[in-house]
Amino acid sequence: MPVAWATLKRNWLVMQRAYPWTYFIGTLAPGVFTVVLALLSYEAIGGGRVSDWFRGASGTPDYLGYVTVGAAALMFTTRMVLWVAKAQITEQREGTLESQLLTPARRLPYLLGVSLQAFLTSLLELTCLFGTALLLGVRLPAPDPVTLAAGVLAALVAVVGLSIPVSAIMIAAGEAHITQNTLFCLIGLVCGFTFPPALLPAPLTWLGELLPATSALRVLRAASLHAAPLGEVAADLLLCLGLGVAYAAVGLLFLPHAERRAVIRGASA
Amino acid sequence: MRHALRVIAAEALKQHRRSFGRPLVVASMLLWPVLQLAATYYTMLPVLDTPGIASRWPDAAQPARLLAFLAAGAFAYLFYFSLVQSAWHFSFERISGTIELLFLSPASRLALVFANGTGALVQNTWLAGCFAVAAASAGGALHVAHPGMYAVAALALVVPAIVWGAFLNSLLVFSRDSAFLYTLLDDPLWFVSGVRLPLFAMPLAIKAVGLAFPLTSSLIVLRGALLDAQPLSALLEPLALLTGLCALLFAATAALLRLGEARAQRTGSMQLY
Repeated sequence: MPVAWATLKRNWLVMQRAYPWTYFIGTLAPGVFTVVLALLSYEAIGGGRVSDWFRGASGTPDYLGYVTVGAAALMFTTRMVLWVAKAQITEQREGTLESQLLTPARRLPYLLGVSLQAFLTSLLELTCLFGTALLLGVRLPAPDPVTLAAGVLAALVAVVGLSIPVSAIMIAAGEAHITQNTLFCLIGLVCGFTFPPALLPAPLTWLGELLPATSALRVLRAASLHAAPLGEVAADLLLCLGLGVAYAAVGLLFLPHAERRAVIRGASA
Repeated sequence: MRHALRVIAAEALKQHRRSFGRPLVVASMLLWPVLQLAATYYTMLPVLDTPGIASRWPDAAQPARLLAFLAAGAFAYLFYFSLVQSAWHFSFERISGTIELLFLSPASRLALVFANGTGALVQNTWLAGCFAVAAASAGGALHVAHPGMYAVAALALVVPAIVWGAFLNSLLVFSRDSAFLYTLLDDPLWFVSGVRLPLFAMPLAIKAVGLAFPLTSSLIVLRGALLDAQPLSALLEPLALLTGLCALLFAATAALLRLGEARAQRTGSMQLY
Protein backbone atom coordinates (compact mmCIF):
# COMPACT_ATOMS: atom_id res chain seq x y z
CA MET A 1 0.00 0.00 0.00
CA PRO A 2 2.81 2.51 0.66
CA VAL A 3 3.87 1.94 -2.98
CA ALA A 4 0.40 2.77 -4.28
CA TRP A 5 0.21 5.86 -2.08
CA ALA A 6 3.68 7.07 -3.10
CA THR A 7 2.92 6.54 -6.80
CA LEU A 8 -0.38 8.35 -6.43
CA LYS A 9 1.34 11.29 -4.75
CA ARG A 10 4.13 11.46 -7.32
CA ASN A 11 1.78 11.27 -10.31
CA TRP A 12 -0.54 13.84 -8.80
CA LEU A 13 2.38 16.20 -8.42
CA VAL A 14 3.54 15.59 -11.98
CA MET A 15 0.03 16.18 -13.27
CA GLN A 16 -0.30 19.41 -11.32
CA ARG A 17 2.99 20.78 -12.60
CA ALA A 18 2.76 19.62 -16.20
CA TYR A 19 -0.83 18.83 -17.11
CA PRO A 20 -1.00 17.13 -20.55
CA TRP A 21 -3.39 19.58 -22.23
CA THR A 22 -3.06 18.07 -25.68
CA TYR A 23 -4.15 14.68 -24.35
CA PHE A 24 -7.05 16.32 -22.54
CA ILE A 25 -8.29 18.14 -25.63
CA GLY A 26 -7.53 15.09 -27.76
CA THR A 27 -9.89 12.96 -25.68
CA LEU A 28 -12.50 15.60 -24.80
CA ALA A 29 -12.95 16.60 -28.46
CA PRO A 30 -14.05 13.16 -29.73
CA GLY A 31 -16.50 12.89 -26.82
CA VAL A 32 -18.00 16.31 -27.41
CA PHE A 33 -18.14 15.85 -31.18
CA THR A 34 -19.84 12.48 -30.76
CA VAL A 35 -22.55 14.11 -28.65
CA VAL A 36 -22.92 17.03 -31.09
CA LEU A 37 -23.05 14.66 -34.06
CA ALA A 38 -25.80 12.64 -32.39
CA LEU A 39 -27.67 15.81 -31.45
CA LEU A 40 -27.55 17.29 -34.96
CA SER A 41 -28.44 14.07 -36.73
CA TYR A 42 -31.24 13.39 -34.23
CA GLU A 43 -32.78 16.76 -34.95
CA ALA A 44 -32.06 17.39 -38.63
CA ILE A 45 -32.10 13.85 -40.00
CA GLY A 46 -34.37 12.01 -37.58
CA GLY A 47 -36.68 14.99 -37.16
CA GLY A 48 -36.47 14.68 -33.37
CA ARG A 49 -37.33 10.99 -33.44
CA VAL A 50 -35.55 7.70 -33.45
CA SER A 51 -36.55 4.49 -35.20
CA ASP A 52 -38.89 2.08 -33.44
CA TRP A 53 -36.42 -0.81 -33.35
CA PHE A 54 -33.90 1.28 -31.40
CA ARG A 55 -35.91 0.83 -28.22
CA GLY A 56 -35.92 -2.93 -28.60
CA ALA A 57 -32.20 -3.11 -29.37
CA SER A 58 -30.99 -0.71 -26.70
CA GLY A 59 -33.66 -0.88 -23.99
CA THR A 60 -34.31 2.87 -24.02
CA PRO A 61 -36.06 5.29 -26.40
CA ASP A 62 -33.69 8.08 -25.28
CA TYR A 63 -31.17 8.17 -28.16
CA LEU A 64 -29.34 11.28 -26.94
CA GLY A 65 -29.04 9.99 -23.38
CA TYR A 66 -27.80 6.66 -24.72
CA VAL A 67 -25.09 8.31 -26.85
CA THR A 68 -24.08 10.81 -24.14
CA VAL A 69 -23.52 8.13 -21.49
CA GLY A 70 -21.62 6.09 -24.08
CA ALA A 71 -19.44 9.03 -25.15
CA ALA A 72 -18.63 9.76 -21.51
CA ALA A 73 -17.77 6.10 -20.89
CA LEU A 74 -15.57 6.09 -24.01
CA MET A 75 -13.76 9.19 -22.81
CA PHE A 76 -13.28 7.59 -19.39
CA THR A 77 -11.91 4.42 -20.98
CA THR A 78 -9.49 6.18 -23.32
CA ARG A 79 -8.23 8.48 -20.59
CA MET A 80 -7.68 5.62 -18.15
CA VAL A 81 -5.91 3.51 -20.78
CA LEU A 82 -3.72 6.47 -21.74
CA TRP A 83 -2.67 6.91 -18.10
CA VAL A 84 -2.46 3.33 -16.86
CA ALA A 85 -1.39 1.30 -19.90
CA LYS A 86 1.14 3.93 -20.89
CA ALA A 87 2.59 4.33 -17.38
CA GLN A 88 5.36 1.81 -17.86
CA ILE A 89 6.29 2.73 -21.42
CA THR A 90 6.49 6.34 -20.26
CA GLU A 91 8.87 5.25 -17.49
CA GLN A 92 10.88 3.49 -20.16
CA ARG A 93 10.97 6.54 -22.43
CA GLU A 94 11.99 8.74 -19.54
CA GLY A 95 14.66 6.25 -18.59
CA THR A 96 13.23 5.24 -15.21
CA LEU A 97 11.92 1.77 -16.02
CA GLU A 98 15.18 0.15 -14.89
CA SER A 99 15.09 1.93 -11.55
CA GLN A 100 11.48 0.87 -11.14
CA LEU A 101 12.51 -2.72 -11.78
CA LEU A 102 15.34 -2.47 -9.26
CA THR A 103 13.14 -1.26 -6.38
CA PRO A 104 11.51 -3.89 -4.17
CA ALA A 105 8.08 -2.40 -5.05
CA ARG A 106 5.60 -4.83 -6.55
CA ARG A 107 3.89 -4.10 -9.84
CA LEU A 108 0.24 -4.25 -8.77
CA PRO A 109 0.44 -1.55 -6.07
CA TYR A 110 2.36 0.67 -8.48
CA LEU A 111 -0.34 0.29 -11.14
CA LEU A 112 -3.06 0.83 -8.54
CA GLY A 113 -1.45 4.10 -7.53
CA VAL A 114 -1.31 5.20 -11.16
CA SER A 115 -4.94 4.14 -11.61
CA LEU A 116 -6.21 6.04 -8.57
CA GLN A 117 -4.58 9.26 -9.70
CA ALA A 118 -5.92 8.70 -13.23
CA PHE A 119 -9.36 7.96 -11.83
CA LEU A 120 -9.54 11.20 -9.84
CA THR A 121 -8.28 13.23 -12.81
CA SER A 122 -10.67 11.52 -15.20
CA LEU A 123 -13.65 12.25 -12.95
CA LEU A 124 -12.79 15.95 -13.07
CA GLU A 125 -12.45 15.77 -16.84
CA LEU A 126 -15.73 13.90 -17.24
CA THR A 127 -17.56 16.78 -15.56
CA CYS A 128 -16.30 18.93 -18.47
CA LEU A 129 -17.95 16.58 -20.94
CA PHE A 130 -21.22 16.37 -19.01
CA GLY A 131 -21.20 20.16 -18.57
CA THR A 132 -20.79 20.63 -22.32
CA ALA A 133 -23.56 18.13 -23.05
CA LEU A 134 -25.84 19.95 -20.59
CA LEU A 135 -25.10 23.28 -22.28
CA LEU A 136 -25.91 21.74 -25.64
CA GLY A 137 -29.32 20.74 -24.35
CA VAL A 138 -28.91 17.05 -23.49
CA ARG A 139 -30.97 16.17 -20.41
CA LEU A 140 -30.24 13.03 -18.41
CA PRO A 141 -32.72 11.58 -15.88
CA ALA A 142 -31.78 11.35 -12.19
CA PRO A 143 -29.66 8.20 -11.72
CA ASP A 144 -29.82 5.59 -8.97
CA PRO A 145 -26.80 6.66 -6.86
CA VAL A 146 -25.93 3.22 -5.46
CA THR A 147 -26.08 1.46 -8.83
CA LEU A 148 -24.18 4.31 -10.48
CA ALA A 149 -21.41 4.16 -7.88
CA ALA A 150 -21.21 0.38 -8.30
CA GLY A 151 -21.14 0.81 -12.07
CA VAL A 152 -18.34 3.37 -11.94
CA LEU A 153 -16.35 1.11 -9.64
CA ALA A 154 -16.90 -1.87 -11.94
CA ALA A 155 -15.87 0.24 -14.94
CA LEU A 156 -12.72 1.24 -13.07
CA VAL A 157 -11.84 -2.41 -12.40
CA ALA A 158 -12.65 -3.22 -16.03
CA VAL A 159 -10.41 -0.59 -17.63
CA VAL A 160 -7.55 -1.06 -15.18
CA GLY A 161 -7.75 -4.81 -15.78
CA LEU A 162 -7.70 -4.26 -19.53
CA SER A 163 -4.82 -1.79 -19.27
CA ILE A 164 -2.39 -4.20 -17.61
CA PRO A 165 -2.03 -6.64 -20.54
CA VAL A 166 -1.98 -3.63 -22.89
CA SER A 167 0.89 -2.21 -20.86
CA ALA A 168 2.74 -5.50 -21.24
CA ILE A 169 2.19 -5.45 -25.01
CA MET A 170 3.39 -1.85 -25.22
CA ILE A 171 6.67 -2.31 -23.38
CA ALA A 172 7.32 -5.62 -25.13
CA ALA A 173 6.76 -4.03 -28.54
CA GLY A 174 8.38 -0.73 -27.58
CA GLU A 175 5.50 1.04 -29.29
CA ALA A 176 2.38 2.78 -28.01
CA HIS A 177 0.80 4.84 -30.79
CA ILE A 178 -0.47 2.00 -32.98
CA THR A 179 -1.44 -0.26 -30.06
CA GLN A 180 -3.47 2.37 -28.24
CA ASN A 181 -5.33 3.72 -31.28
CA THR A 182 -6.14 0.26 -32.60
CA LEU A 183 -7.52 -0.60 -29.17
CA PHE A 184 -9.62 2.60 -29.05
CA CYS A 185 -11.05 2.04 -32.53
CA LEU A 186 -11.81 -1.59 -31.74
CA ILE A 187 -13.58 -1.03 -28.42
CA GLY A 188 -15.36 1.99 -29.94
CA LEU A 189 -16.89 -0.43 -32.42
CA VAL A 190 -17.60 -3.63 -30.49
CA CYS A 191 -18.44 -2.49 -26.94
CA GLY A 192 -21.59 -0.56 -27.77
CA PHE A 193 -20.52 2.88 -26.64
CA THR A 194 -22.62 4.83 -29.13
CA PHE A 195 -24.98 2.20 -30.53
CA PRO A 196 -26.46 -1.10 -29.32
CA PRO A 197 -24.01 -3.95 -30.07
CA ALA A 198 -26.97 -6.04 -31.27
CA LEU A 199 -26.66 -4.16 -34.60
CA LEU A 200 -23.24 -5.69 -35.24
CA PRO A 201 -22.61 -9.01 -36.99
CA ALA A 202 -22.74 -11.84 -34.44
CA PRO A 203 -18.95 -12.57 -34.18
CA LEU A 204 -18.26 -8.93 -33.33
CA THR A 205 -20.99 -9.01 -30.67
CA TRP A 206 -19.28 -12.01 -29.04
CA LEU A 207 -15.95 -10.24 -29.24
CA GLY A 208 -17.57 -7.30 -27.47
CA GLU A 209 -18.85 -9.57 -24.71
CA LEU A 210 -15.27 -10.71 -24.06
CA LEU A 211 -14.28 -7.14 -23.25
CA PRO A 212 -15.34 -5.97 -19.78
CA ALA A 213 -16.33 -2.51 -21.06
CA THR A 214 -19.48 -3.95 -22.65
CA SER A 215 -21.00 -5.19 -19.39
CA ALA A 216 -19.78 -2.10 -17.54
CA LEU A 217 -21.68 0.03 -20.04
CA ARG A 218 -24.87 -1.95 -19.47
CA VAL A 219 -24.61 -1.29 -15.73
CA LEU A 220 -23.83 2.41 -16.24
CA ARG A 221 -26.75 2.84 -18.63
CA ALA A 222 -29.19 0.97 -16.39
CA ALA A 223 -28.11 3.19 -13.50
CA SER A 224 -28.17 6.51 -15.33
CA LEU A 225 -31.04 6.10 -17.79
CA HIS A 226 -33.49 3.83 -15.88
CA ALA A 227 -32.42 4.38 -12.25
CA ALA A 228 -32.33 0.59 -11.91
CA PRO A 229 -31.78 -0.84 -8.42
CA LEU A 230 -28.60 -2.81 -7.70
CA GLY A 231 -30.32 -6.21 -7.80
CA GLU A 232 -31.32 -5.76 -11.45
CA VAL A 233 -27.77 -5.31 -12.69
CA ALA A 234 -26.06 -7.87 -10.41
CA ALA A 235 -25.34 -10.31 -13.25
CA ASP A 236 -23.66 -7.70 -15.46
CA LEU A 237 -21.80 -6.29 -12.47
CA LEU A 238 -20.33 -9.69 -11.61
CA LEU A 239 -19.49 -10.40 -15.27
CA CYS A 240 -17.68 -7.07 -15.56
CA LEU A 241 -15.73 -7.54 -12.33
CA GLY A 242 -14.87 -11.13 -13.24
CA LEU A 243 -13.57 -10.14 -16.70
CA GLY A 244 -11.66 -7.18 -15.27
CA VAL A 245 -9.92 -9.34 -12.67
CA ALA A 246 -9.19 -12.03 -15.28
CA TYR A 247 -7.55 -9.50 -17.63
CA ALA A 248 -5.55 -8.08 -14.73
CA ALA A 249 -4.37 -11.56 -13.70
CA VAL A 250 -3.30 -12.43 -17.26
CA GLY A 251 -1.56 -9.08 -17.55
CA LEU A 252 0.34 -9.47 -14.27
CA LEU A 253 1.39 -12.95 -15.35
CA PHE A 254 2.88 -11.64 -18.60
CA LEU A 255 4.31 -8.39 -17.27
CA PRO A 256 7.63 -9.86 -16.00
CA HIS A 257 8.32 -11.40 -19.43
CA ALA A 258 7.44 -8.15 -21.16
CA GLU A 259 9.72 -6.23 -18.80
CA ARG A 260 12.56 -8.62 -19.52
CA ARG A 261 12.13 -8.09 -23.25
CA ALA A 262 11.98 -4.33 -22.80
CA VAL A 263 15.23 -4.30 -20.83
CA ILE A 264 17.02 -6.59 -23.29
CA ARG A 265 15.95 -4.42 -26.21
CA GLY A 266 17.24 -1.34 -24.43
CA ALA A 267 15.96 2.20 -24.24
CA SER A 268 15.09 2.49 -27.90
CA ALA A 269 11.32 2.90 -27.40
CA MET B 1 10.30 23.08 -63.73
CA ARG B 2 13.01 20.46 -64.19
CA HIS B 3 14.49 21.55 -60.91
CA ALA B 4 11.13 21.17 -59.16
CA LEU B 5 10.62 17.71 -60.64
CA ARG B 6 14.01 16.60 -59.39
CA VAL B 7 13.16 17.81 -55.90
CA ILE B 8 9.85 15.96 -56.08
CA ALA B 9 11.55 12.76 -57.24
CA ALA B 10 14.09 12.96 -54.42
CA GLU B 11 11.43 13.59 -51.80
CA ALA B 12 9.27 10.79 -53.17
CA LEU B 13 12.18 8.37 -52.90
CA LYS B 14 12.81 9.49 -49.33
CA GLN B 15 9.17 9.07 -48.36
CA HIS B 16 9.06 5.68 -50.04
CA ARG B 17 12.10 4.46 -48.14
CA ARG B 18 10.79 5.79 -44.89
CA SER B 19 7.16 4.79 -44.89
CA PHE B 20 6.44 2.09 -47.46
CA GLY B 21 4.84 -0.92 -45.83
CA ARG B 22 5.26 0.43 -42.31
CA PRO B 23 2.69 -0.77 -39.76
CA LEU B 24 1.70 2.84 -38.98
CA VAL B 25 0.61 3.41 -42.58
CA VAL B 26 -1.50 0.27 -42.68
CA ALA B 27 -3.07 0.97 -39.30
CA SER B 28 -3.75 4.67 -39.65
CA MET B 29 -4.69 4.62 -43.32
CA LEU B 30 -6.81 1.49 -43.49
CA LEU B 31 -7.57 -0.27 -40.22
CA TRP B 32 -8.61 2.68 -38.04
CA PRO B 33 -10.66 4.47 -40.72
CA VAL B 34 -12.61 1.28 -41.49
CA LEU B 35 -13.36 0.65 -37.80
CA GLN B 36 -14.37 4.29 -37.29
CA LEU B 37 -16.51 4.26 -40.40
CA ALA B 38 -18.40 1.22 -39.12
CA ALA B 39 -18.92 2.83 -35.71
CA THR B 40 -20.24 6.06 -37.27
CA TYR B 41 -22.55 4.15 -39.57
CA TYR B 42 -24.12 2.17 -36.73
CA THR B 43 -24.40 5.28 -34.55
CA MET B 44 -26.38 7.11 -37.25
CA LEU B 45 -28.51 4.16 -38.25
CA PRO B 46 -31.20 4.67 -35.55
CA VAL B 47 -32.11 8.19 -36.78
CA LEU B 48 -32.43 7.01 -40.37
CA ASP B 49 -35.41 4.73 -40.02
CA THR B 50 -37.82 7.47 -38.95
CA PRO B 51 -41.04 8.70 -40.57
CA GLY B 52 -40.49 11.49 -43.09
CA ILE B 53 -36.80 10.71 -43.72
CA ALA B 54 -37.43 10.64 -47.49
CA SER B 55 -38.31 14.34 -47.45
CA ARG B 56 -35.59 15.42 -45.00
CA TRP B 57 -32.67 13.57 -46.55
CA PRO B 58 -33.69 11.76 -49.74
CA ASP B 59 -30.07 10.90 -50.57
CA ALA B 60 -29.69 8.55 -47.64
CA ALA B 61 -33.09 7.01 -47.23
CA GLN B 62 -31.60 3.51 -47.47
CA PRO B 63 -28.81 2.23 -45.21
CA ALA B 64 -26.62 1.39 -48.23
CA ARG B 65 -26.78 5.02 -49.40
CA LEU B 66 -25.90 6.24 -45.91
CA LEU B 67 -22.91 3.92 -45.89
CA ALA B 68 -21.79 5.24 -49.29
CA PHE B 69 -22.20 8.82 -48.06
CA LEU B 70 -20.14 8.16 -44.92
CA ALA B 71 -17.54 6.09 -46.79
CA ALA B 72 -16.99 8.90 -49.31
CA GLY B 73 -16.54 11.27 -46.37
CA ALA B 74 -14.11 8.95 -44.60
CA PHE B 75 -12.12 8.45 -47.81
CA ALA B 76 -11.75 12.16 -48.55
CA TYR B 77 -10.93 12.85 -44.92
CA LEU B 78 -8.18 10.24 -45.14
CA PHE B 79 -6.50 12.19 -47.94
CA TYR B 80 -6.44 15.35 -45.88
CA PHE B 81 -5.51 13.58 -42.70
CA SER B 82 -2.61 11.79 -44.36
CA LEU B 83 -1.19 15.26 -45.00
CA VAL B 84 -1.71 16.26 -41.39
CA GLN B 85 0.30 13.17 -40.53
CA SER B 86 2.92 14.04 -43.15
CA ALA B 87 3.27 17.54 -41.68
CA TRP B 88 3.72 15.89 -38.30
CA HIS B 89 6.53 13.81 -39.79
CA PHE B 90 7.97 16.95 -41.38
CA SER B 91 8.40 18.31 -37.87
CA PHE B 92 10.69 15.35 -37.18
CA GLU B 93 13.14 16.94 -39.64
CA ARG B 94 13.63 19.59 -37.01
CA ILE B 95 14.17 17.05 -34.26
CA SER B 96 16.69 15.11 -36.31
CA GLY B 97 18.41 18.32 -37.41
CA THR B 98 17.82 17.90 -41.13
CA ILE B 99 15.44 20.83 -41.65
CA GLU B 100 18.42 23.17 -41.52
CA LEU B 101 20.17 21.10 -44.19
CA LEU B 102 17.07 21.29 -46.38
CA PHE B 103 17.14 25.06 -46.17
CA LEU B 104 20.89 25.19 -46.79
CA SER B 105 20.49 23.21 -50.01
CA PRO B 106 19.75 25.08 -53.25
CA ALA B 107 16.37 23.27 -53.60
CA SER B 108 13.40 25.56 -54.09
CA ARG B 109 11.53 25.78 -50.79
CA LEU B 110 8.17 25.78 -52.48
CA ALA B 111 9.04 22.66 -54.48
CA LEU B 112 10.25 21.09 -51.24
CA VAL B 113 7.03 21.48 -49.26
CA PHE B 114 4.93 20.45 -52.26
CA ALA B 115 7.14 17.43 -52.86
CA ASN B 116 6.87 16.44 -49.23
CA GLY B 117 3.07 16.63 -49.32
CA THR B 118 2.77 14.82 -52.67
CA GLY B 119 5.15 12.07 -51.69
CA ALA B 120 3.34 11.48 -48.42
CA LEU B 121 -0.03 11.48 -50.13
CA VAL B 122 1.04 8.81 -52.60
CA GLN B 123 2.76 6.70 -49.97
CA ASN B 124 -0.13 6.90 -47.55
CA THR B 125 -3.27 6.69 -49.62
CA TRP B 126 -2.52 4.19 -52.38
CA LEU B 127 -3.65 1.36 -50.13
CA ALA B 128 -6.89 3.01 -49.10
CA GLY B 129 -7.38 4.16 -52.68
CA CYS B 130 -7.22 0.60 -54.05
CA PHE B 131 -9.50 -0.54 -51.26
CA ALA B 132 -12.02 2.21 -51.95
CA VAL B 133 -12.09 1.56 -55.72
CA ALA B 134 -12.62 -2.15 -55.08
CA ALA B 135 -15.34 -1.51 -52.49
CA ALA B 136 -17.14 1.05 -54.65
CA SER B 137 -17.18 -1.15 -57.75
CA ALA B 138 -18.23 -4.21 -55.76
CA GLY B 139 -20.90 -2.33 -53.77
CA GLY B 140 -22.50 -0.71 -56.82
CA ALA B 141 -22.96 2.58 -54.97
CA LEU B 142 -21.56 4.77 -57.75
CA HIS B 143 -23.93 6.88 -59.82
CA VAL B 144 -22.00 8.94 -62.32
CA ALA B 145 -23.45 11.25 -64.98
CA HIS B 146 -20.50 11.09 -67.36
CA PRO B 147 -17.19 9.16 -67.30
CA GLY B 148 -15.32 12.47 -67.28
CA MET B 149 -16.74 13.14 -63.83
CA TYR B 150 -14.36 10.54 -62.38
CA ALA B 151 -11.51 12.80 -63.43
CA VAL B 152 -13.27 15.86 -61.99
CA ALA B 153 -13.80 14.08 -58.66
CA ALA B 154 -10.22 12.82 -58.54
CA LEU B 155 -8.77 16.24 -59.32
CA ALA B 156 -11.08 17.96 -56.82
CA LEU B 157 -9.77 15.61 -54.18
CA VAL B 158 -6.06 15.37 -54.97
CA VAL B 159 -5.10 18.91 -56.00
CA PRO B 160 -6.55 20.73 -52.96
CA ALA B 161 -5.18 18.02 -50.67
CA ILE B 162 -1.65 18.60 -51.98
CA VAL B 163 -1.95 22.39 -51.61
CA TRP B 164 -3.32 21.86 -48.11
CA GLY B 165 -0.36 19.64 -47.26
CA ALA B 166 2.12 22.23 -48.54
CA PHE B 167 0.40 24.88 -46.45
CA LEU B 168 0.62 22.76 -43.29
CA ASN B 169 4.30 22.05 -43.94
CA SER B 170 5.02 25.74 -44.38
CA LEU B 171 3.46 26.44 -40.96
CA LEU B 172 6.01 24.15 -39.37
CA VAL B 173 8.88 26.36 -40.50
CA PHE B 174 7.69 28.67 -37.72
CA SER B 175 6.66 26.31 -34.99
CA ARG B 176 8.57 23.80 -32.98
CA ASP B 177 5.38 22.37 -31.57
CA SER B 178 3.58 20.00 -33.89
CA ALA B 179 1.07 18.59 -31.39
CA PHE B 180 -1.32 21.38 -32.39
CA LEU B 181 -1.73 19.66 -35.76
CA TYR B 182 -3.42 16.67 -34.21
CA THR B 183 -5.35 18.67 -31.66
CA LEU B 184 -6.76 21.19 -34.12
CA LEU B 185 -6.96 19.23 -37.32
CA ASP B 186 -8.15 15.77 -36.40
CA ASP B 187 -11.57 15.88 -34.76
CA PRO B 188 -12.53 19.50 -35.50
CA LEU B 189 -11.63 18.98 -39.17
CA TRP B 190 -14.00 16.08 -39.72
CA PHE B 191 -16.69 17.79 -37.75
CA VAL B 192 -16.83 21.12 -39.59
CA SER B 193 -16.22 19.65 -43.04
CA GLY B 194 -19.32 17.49 -43.15
CA VAL B 195 -17.38 14.23 -43.21
CA ARG B 196 -19.98 12.41 -41.11
CA LEU B 197 -22.97 14.72 -41.43
CA PRO B 198 -24.69 16.32 -44.42
CA LEU B 199 -24.19 20.09 -44.56
CA PHE B 200 -27.91 20.83 -44.24
CA ALA B 201 -27.93 19.34 -40.73
CA MET B 202 -25.37 21.82 -39.45
CA PRO B 203 -25.97 25.24 -37.96
CA LEU B 204 -25.05 28.17 -40.20
CA ALA B 205 -22.01 29.23 -38.16
CA ILE B 206 -20.40 25.77 -38.37
CA LYS B 207 -21.17 25.63 -42.09
CA ALA B 208 -19.43 28.97 -42.59
CA VAL B 209 -16.32 27.77 -40.72
CA GLY B 210 -16.42 24.54 -42.70
CA LEU B 211 -16.40 26.28 -46.07
CA ALA B 212 -13.05 27.84 -45.20
CA PHE B 213 -11.50 24.35 -45.31
CA PRO B 214 -10.96 22.91 -48.80
CA LEU B 215 -12.06 19.48 -47.58
CA THR B 216 -15.68 20.68 -47.37
CA SER B 217 -15.86 21.66 -51.03
CA SER B 218 -13.83 18.63 -52.10
CA LEU B 219 -16.42 16.46 -50.43
CA ILE B 220 -19.35 18.25 -52.05
CA VAL B 221 -17.79 17.63 -55.46
CA LEU B 222 -16.81 14.03 -54.67
CA ARG B 223 -20.23 13.04 -53.38
CA GLY B 224 -22.11 15.00 -56.04
CA ALA B 225 -20.10 13.56 -58.90
CA LEU B 226 -19.77 9.95 -57.77
CA LEU B 227 -22.84 9.24 -55.66
CA ASP B 228 -25.59 11.55 -56.96
CA ALA B 229 -24.77 11.59 -60.70
CA GLN B 230 -24.61 15.39 -60.80
CA PRO B 231 -23.28 16.94 -64.04
CA LEU B 232 -20.40 19.39 -64.11
CA SER B 233 -22.74 22.38 -64.38
CA ALA B 234 -24.29 21.57 -60.98
CA LEU B 235 -20.90 21.53 -59.28
CA LEU B 236 -19.45 24.75 -60.66
CA GLU B 237 -20.03 26.63 -57.41
CA PRO B 238 -18.00 24.35 -55.09
CA LEU B 239 -15.38 23.94 -57.81
CA ALA B 240 -14.98 27.70 -58.06
CA LEU B 241 -14.69 27.98 -54.28
CA LEU B 242 -12.14 25.18 -54.30
CA THR B 243 -10.06 26.92 -56.96
CA GLY B 244 -10.15 30.16 -54.97
CA LEU B 245 -9.15 28.39 -51.75
CA CYS B 246 -6.28 26.61 -53.51
CA ALA B 247 -4.97 29.88 -54.93
CA LEU B 248 -5.22 31.48 -51.50
CA LEU B 249 -3.45 28.59 -49.76
CA PHE B 250 -0.76 28.55 -52.46
CA ALA B 251 -0.08 32.26 -52.01
CA ALA B 252 -0.08 31.85 -48.23
CA THR B 253 2.38 28.96 -48.49
CA ALA B 254 4.79 30.97 -50.63
CA ALA B 255 4.54 33.98 -48.31
CA LEU B 256 4.90 31.91 -45.13
CA LEU B 257 7.98 30.15 -46.46
CA ARG B 258 9.69 33.48 -47.20
CA LEU B 259 8.69 34.97 -43.86
CA GLY B 260 9.63 31.82 -42.00
CA GLU B 261 13.03 31.57 -43.61
CA ALA B 262 13.78 35.24 -43.01
CA ARG B 263 12.75 34.83 -39.39
CA ALA B 264 14.84 31.71 -38.99
CA GLN B 265 17.86 33.52 -40.43
CA ARG B 266 17.36 36.33 -37.96
CA THR B 267 16.76 34.23 -34.87
CA GLY B 268 18.79 31.15 -35.75
CA SER B 269 15.89 29.00 -34.61
CA MET B 270 16.23 26.46 -37.43
CA GLN B 271 18.69 24.36 -35.47
CA LEU B 272 16.84 24.63 -32.19
CA TYR B 273 14.44 22.11 -30.95
